[in-house]
Amino acid sequence: MNFFKRGLLSITRRKGKSLILLAVLFILGNVIAGAISISQATANVEESIKERLGTGATLELDYEALDSMDESEMMNFEIPNLGEELINQIGELPYVKYYDYNTTTFLASEEIESYNPMMEEAEGEVEMAGMGPQFQLKGVNYAPLLDIEEGKSELVDGRVFTDEEIENGTPVAIISKKLADLNNLQVGDTFSLSNQIYEFSESGEEEVLDSRDVPLEVIGIFEPKTVNSDSENPEEFDYMDMDFQNTIYVANALVSQEMEFAVGDMPEYEDYYVPFFVLNEPEDAEAFEEEVSPLLPELFIVRHASDSYDSIAAPIESMSNLSKYVLIASVITTILIIGLVVLLFLRDRKRELGIYLSLGEARMRVVGQIITEVLIISIIGMTLSLFTGNLLAQTVSDSLIDNDNNQREDEIYYYTEMQTDLTTEDVIDAYEVSLTGDFILLFYAVGIITILLSTVIPLIYIIRLNPKKIMM
Amino acid sequence: MILEAKDLNYYYQDGESRRFVLKNTNVSFDKGKFYTILGQSGSGKTTLLSLLSAMDTPHNGEVVFDGKNILEIGHDNYRRNKVGIIFQSYNLIPTFTAVENVLVSMSITENELPDDHKTVAYNLLDYIGISQDKANRTVNKLSGGEQQRVAIARALSTNVELILADEPTGNLDEEMEQEIIDIFKKLAHEHKKCVIMVTHSNDIAEQSDQTFYLKKGVLNTNE
Repeated sequence: MNFFKRGLLSITRRKGKSLILLAVLFILGNVIAGAISISQATANVEESIKERLGTGATLELDYEALDSMDESEMMNFEIPNLGEELINQIGELPYVKYYDYNTTTFLASEEIESYNPMMEEAEGEVEMAGMGPQFQLKGVNYAPLLDIEEGKSELVDGRVFTDEEIENGTPVAIISKKLADLNNLQVGDTFSLSNQIYEFSESGEEEVLDSRDVPLEVIGIFEPKTVNSDSENPEEFDYMDMDFQNTIYVANALVSQEMEFAVGDMPEYEDYYVPFFVLNEPEDAEAFEEEVSPLLPELFIVRHASDSYDSIAAPIESMSNLSKYVLIASVITTILIIGLVVLLFLRDRKRELGIYLSLGEARMRVVGQIITEVLIISIIGMTLSLFTGNLLAQTVSDSLIDNDNNQREDEIYYYTEMQTDLTTEDVIDAYEVSLTGDFILLFYAVGIITILLSTVIPLIYIIRLNPKKIMM
Repeated sequence: MILEAKDLNYYYQDGESRRFVLKNTNVSFDKGKFYTILGQSGSGKTTLLSLLSAMDTPHNGEVVFDGKNILEIGHDNYRRNKVGIIFQSYNLIPTFTAVENVLVSMSITENELPDDHKTVAYNLLDYIGISQDKANRTVNKLSGGEQQRVAIARALSTNVELILADEPTGNLDEEMEQEIIDIFKKLAHEHKKCVIMVTHSNDIAEQSDQTFYLKKGVLNTNE
């Protein structure tokens, strides 16, 4: 009868005490299982949502730092230009899958209409200050188009740019299907935009100082794929959709030429580019940021597409934090309660322990017997609480999410490369408390480590026992 | 000679002064004999037994088993493999059956024992006067005498040559007391064990092969 068998015998022969210990462990196990379930479910949400958010990164001004500047600093601050050289240097880093940089301008047109779902019922079109409808001329440097590569839009007709077209600024464009349909444009057709330079007189009347036509040949037609028309906020959706549909992709060089025409004689004109890098893996984000940050001009920072997770996942994040606190508190409580309960039970078994020691049993084996007993009961209690704790977590988290989400105000999204159509609803939908292998393993690991820690005080008690004082 | 105490001193420190329980105690014991250590309450009998059984350590002197200081043998090792101890209050595990109590000590010792521990334990209990039916009862369902027999069986189960008993008949009636003493005599004379028993009973002492008298910490062969 080794110490393991003695432990088993002790459990079955002291049914009352074993059941008390089991009940305590079951209750505490539920709290730990619940906290781990929630914590792991939130971690899974974070992983899957960040994956859906993509591996995009851009370089932008640190607006928080700008806000903290005083007026004089702000006046003297000149926004630095990232420049093509730096963007290309960063784009060549091993973490980058592909990259692009864009310069954008808005051109009017008297020849084609812009797409505007909000004005479909009303007659007329959106016009700005007496100009014709405005189109976003978005310059690109990456010929296959990042939006298509990244699945944000689909090329439904024609082709993407060639490297020569990008390099030479050839007047070719890729337009949206809605814009093409609205203006009966097809691949191979040509349409014209107008680059006009205005001056406003003192009376507020506009005067066209100069203008030139920008003829563009349609080489491809795209259709946006990811803007979610199920959005709860249709106006927001319409705005984003309109922005996207009226975007005309051309080469950066072409935008640059039109900008130069628009600024006229201004000697210090420089092209300002917004870069966008697609990283190989989400895990590369940290290393990429670490390597890029020292290269950036003052007040520029790296921003990742996954950064928007924090804003859309607030209910999940607050629950994640809560579950972490609950887990820590329940582990500490378990250590104390189980430690004290076991110590109390051991005091009742002082004579038995003295007998083992008087028979020459090694103290470590006596300790081993007690740990065996506690672990066997713990594993039974933990196994029972594994299922109930998971159910408890589901109920509690549903209630917490509902509560938190109802208190949250809607946020407005704008279309950019970093924009996502994922909403808080998507995050909540992705949240699922389930009984996975990882959860089970983690729960048993946390549980067993907690139980082992809780036996430290009782074990010190055993090690200090003096058999003579007990037996004689 | 199987066991020897050499210049044993044991005292309690009381401030600056020392209250000696044992003073320069020298005694030796042989196999095949039944010894009694006689003394009144507080004379140091139990302290001497606790030193001989390695439950405690003397302040001076040494206990030698089979020519070797028990400190060298190791106290746990000595108790596990060299000595069987019987206590006045039996000290059995109350939630275990009689046979399980015997099996516990058999599992702890490293002495060579027959493979079938359970059969050995039943046979031993039967030899001591505990039937198989009683052997399967939890010990708190046995009488005092029966519990002490189980304790004796447990002490013998590890196949040791030295049995130390601390007033084992103190809680028993006269009839039961005699039965236990008869068992000890048998163990000493027939099985060549060295049985050392602490008692305050002159009647028991008279039945032993040799009696040591302990008075105010001093051990003598004469009263």
